[in-house]
Amino acid sequence: MNRSILLVGVFSVAPFFSNVQAEAPKAAAKTEKIVWHGTWKGGLAEAQRTGKPIMLVSAVPQCHSVPGVW
Amino acid sequence: MDRSFLADKDVISASRKFVCIRLATYENAEENEVLKGFYARGGNLENTVFTLLTPDGKTKLVTAGRSPVWAFGGVAGPGVNAQPEEPIKKMGQTMEAIALAYPGKGKAAKGFPPLPYLADLRLALNVTAADRQPLVVVYSKSAEQRKKMEQELSKVAWSDQFIGGAQYVPASDASEFKAVKNFKATSGFVVIQPGTFGLTGEVIEVIDAAASAGKLVGPLAEALGKHKPSQLTYDQHRQAGTRAGARWQRATPNTDGLSRRGGRRRPQR
Repeated sequence: MNRSILLVGVFSVAPFFSNVQAEAPKAAAKTEKIVWHGTWKGGLAEAQRTGKPIMLVSAVPQCHSVPGVW
Repeated sequence: MDRSFLADKDVISASRKFVCIRLATYENAEENEVLKGFYARGGNLENTVFTLLTPDGKTKLVTAGRSPVWAFGGVAGPGVNAQPEEPIKKMGQTMEAIALAYPGKGKAAKGFPPLPYLADLRLALNVTAADRQPLVVVYSKSAEQRKKMEQELSKVAWSDQFIGGAQYVPASDASEFKAVKNFKATSGFVVIQPGTFGLTGEVIEVIDAAASAGKLVGPLAEALGKHKPSQLTYDQHRQAGTRAGARWQRATPNTDGLSRRGGRRRPQR
């Protein structure tokens, strides 16, 4: 049962991060993408400087310890 | 057709009115604590976190959770790789409404927009491999020179031509490039092709550190155009990485699922 709960948890974020996989074949062309600040400190400073709200996302760039994939 | 939240054109359009921060979970103890402040079932940081915040970073504006599904609805379950239109539309509309409530300072904001830096070169190789994007390293031993370089590159990076087309990281020591082929310890804007698994990289081009924004545009566009993104599917990537023995060492322990398994965790292979 615990495992099934985990699987639901894992796969529930799949649509969230699946854009990278789905976009791969067309990635060579210029595509519109979100611009991400990669640190909390840097991003927060920019939000405070500009007064803009924040979209915060966090994820692990790996799958089963294989890196290079969200 | 890609119908994930963060690839939607309306969400991307609305994101330009936000400061978007994407952290690598379990890579920085301080950031782990920040994330736990927004979402942590049972006090344990999970693999993924999503929320929208006020500009001071203190108040959640939507329900925080593992993904936008927690805030906007949608489908959560095995095999789901596309969302219905409604929750995606709701996310875009919610972001636009929040942007109206927090319009920002506009031209009254002091200073110049900084480069959206990643934390360090090791992590940057991994993240850009995952995003299938080129990486630009602002490399100089001199902090003063790096600041000048950053100012010039920033003018280019946020322009319509380049926005979202590459990622950026600073470096001050040649030793940071130990996993990067063809690096010669010369100050400059080092454009890198990340390896498939984000553990290595290869220099595509080095642009003069003294280049002004105007002089950067042409060479940078040419160098970024040489980037070749991986064509592997998600499953192919994972299988190839496993065969190749590509493994990532997290900076802090993985605590995902601890609260759902009574604090016990299966050893990771």
